[in-house]
Amino acid sequence: MAASAFHQAIGTLQSHGHFNNSGLHHEQGDNYMRLISKGFKVEIGLSKRGCCRSVQRNIGVVQASTSQTSVFEPVLSPAKSNASSSQKKSNEAALILIRHGESLWNEKNLFTGCVDVPLTKKGVEEAIEAGQRISNIPVDMIYTSALIRAQMTAMLAMTQHRRQKVPIIIHNESEQARAWSQVFSEETKKQSIPVIAAWQLNERMYGELQGLNKQETADRYGKEQVHEWRRSYDIPPPNGESLEMCAQRAVAYFKDQIEPQLLSGKNVMIAAHGNSLRSIIMYLDKLTSQEVISLELSTGIPMLYIFKEGKFIRRGSPVAPTEAGVYAYTRSLALYRQKLDDMLH
Amino acid sequence: MFEQVSTPLQSNTSNSQKKSNEVALILIRHGESLWNEKNLFTGCVDVPLTKKGVEEAIEAGKRISNIPVDMIYTSALIRAQMTAMLAMTQHRRRKVPIIIHNESEQARAWSEVFSEDTKKQSIPVIAAWQLNERMYGELQGLNKQETADRYGKEKVHEWRRSYDIPPPDGESLEMCAERAVAYFKDQIEPQLLSGKNVMIAAHGNSLRSIIMHLDKLTSQEVISLELSTGIPMLYIFKEGKFIRRGSPVAPTEAGVYAYTRRLALYRQKLDEMLH
Repeated sequence: MAASAFHQAIGTLQSHGHFNNSGLHHEQGDNYMRLISKGFKVEIGLSKRGCCRSVQRNIGVVQASTSQTSVFEPVLSPAKSNASSSQKKSNEAALILIRHGESLWNEKNLFTGCVDVPLTKKGVEEAIEAGQRISNIPVDMIYTSALIRAQMTAMLAMTQHRRQKVPIIIHNESEQARAWSQVFSEETKKQSIPVIAAWQLNERMYGELQGLNKQETADRYGKEQVHEWRRSYDIPPPNGESLEMCAQRAVAYFKDQIEPQLLSGKNVMIAAHGNSLRSIIMYLDKLTSQEVISLELSTGIPMLYIFKEGKFIRRGSPVAPTEAGVYAYTRSLALYRQKLDDMLH
Repeated sequence: MFEQVSTPLQSNTSNSQKKSNEVALILIRHGESLWNEKNLFTGCVDVPLTKKGVEEAIEAGKRISNIPVDMIYTSALIRAQMTAMLAMTQHRRRKVPIIIHNESEQARAWSEVFSEDTKKQSIPVIAAWQLNERMYGELQGLNKQETADRYGKEKVHEWRRSYDIPPPDGESLEMCAERAVAYFKDQIEPQLLSGKNVMIAAHGNSLRSIIMHLDKLTSQEVISLELSTGIPMLYIFKEGKFIRRGSPVAPTEAGVYAYTRRLALYRQKLDEMLH
């Protein structure tokens, strides 16, 4: 069967080789590649129940990367995907960033900051759309800000996820809250995705501008002053945070709490806000303060990074599921998608 | 009967001046959660809504889109909070719910609003653990079969359906009712007395506890009370009494509904404002 090229929204692929319908060829270390195309089932020794087989299957996937060679590695069976996360040889994890969609004050053109304003109908739809785009990407942990618009965005997005693990919000605000939210089944815990709400991921606090409309503010303080507060790196509005201050607490949180999870192989989703996310992106992409000021993250469109060997590789936005073609950002993500297809068909 | 009505935009101040001390109280029980779907005992584990639960919330919102809301109370659990916020995306009045943060001085300071006008257009949302679902102790996370196997079917039935027998380390319905009704009397009733229209988005057991108080039910009666999910229940609070008014009809149903003259006028104002 002739090799078929397959397209992807990001990066370029090199496709070689051909498929063999009769099963897998496994030679460790060979640069043998196989194309996995949508709708084609590769025999990889998996049953619908996902029990593990003792024989390891090596599967090659065309990897979109800047390197010229594809690496071929043994892969553990799907049902152990939780355990395999810690055992897998490549220390590779997915990091998804989602900026929430339209809030009720966006709609009214009011400065929001840390005022806890919920989503509009449109914002709800944006969250669901975002969820459809990441429905095939594994998620082991979710971090949100302490604001409902980010939390709702995460929970709405996860209603679309194919894997069907259940997000559970962790409560640590008091001993009672912790005790009352305890789960008593190990099996259930394994099927859970912890959700952690952190104020450090909140939107930039806008001080005395919170609740004012943009006209009112320009009248009160002057257009130039307002422009400076909104667009500079280090000048805070009265009693508020500058972007620099926001970045300081957001990136510190990311490094202390989230990066260790990625290092241990957990796939993470962060649902937050324009300024807290661009602060994190500044860190991931090593941007300067000049560059970060002009960085705009689209609302409701998830941004994917692959964390591998201590580096963050930006992979752009996952395509909407209705778009034709197969996308595979890395071998392990392609396999994950395959497992979902097997499980759910 | 015909009374002078203040213009719609002043509906906030008119609440305290109006001649009848009459307000609306809406109760909404959240819809399907991810553990309902999997048939697991949920209790106070903070599990979100399914797609269906999201739709139920939006539907509920359509049914109350014409009923005034000045304050919202929810539990500390996301499924109730989301239900409230999703329902309010459908509200015609367009005041903006804002969740109040008091968990720390920083949280309070950071969420301050600096425009009086904006504050007037806001509906405070208060999250209270006292409105949480009944805490199910060591059954939380277990499936119903697992639990029957572990403890025996009769025991489980007793925990689920009795008034005062708690599951291991959990709450009985009586214990749940104690903290939910105490909260209602201390915090919510004064708001109603001062003329605020209130919405409560919460859970099966915390809401039926409150209904027990509103309708003066016995413990026998409350055990068999089932509140539908996603279907709002309306009460009118007037002269210190709670009058049950059932479920507002869906807006697509023909005909005008008016529970009280005042609510009919409110709907009128909305029509004028928005057409």
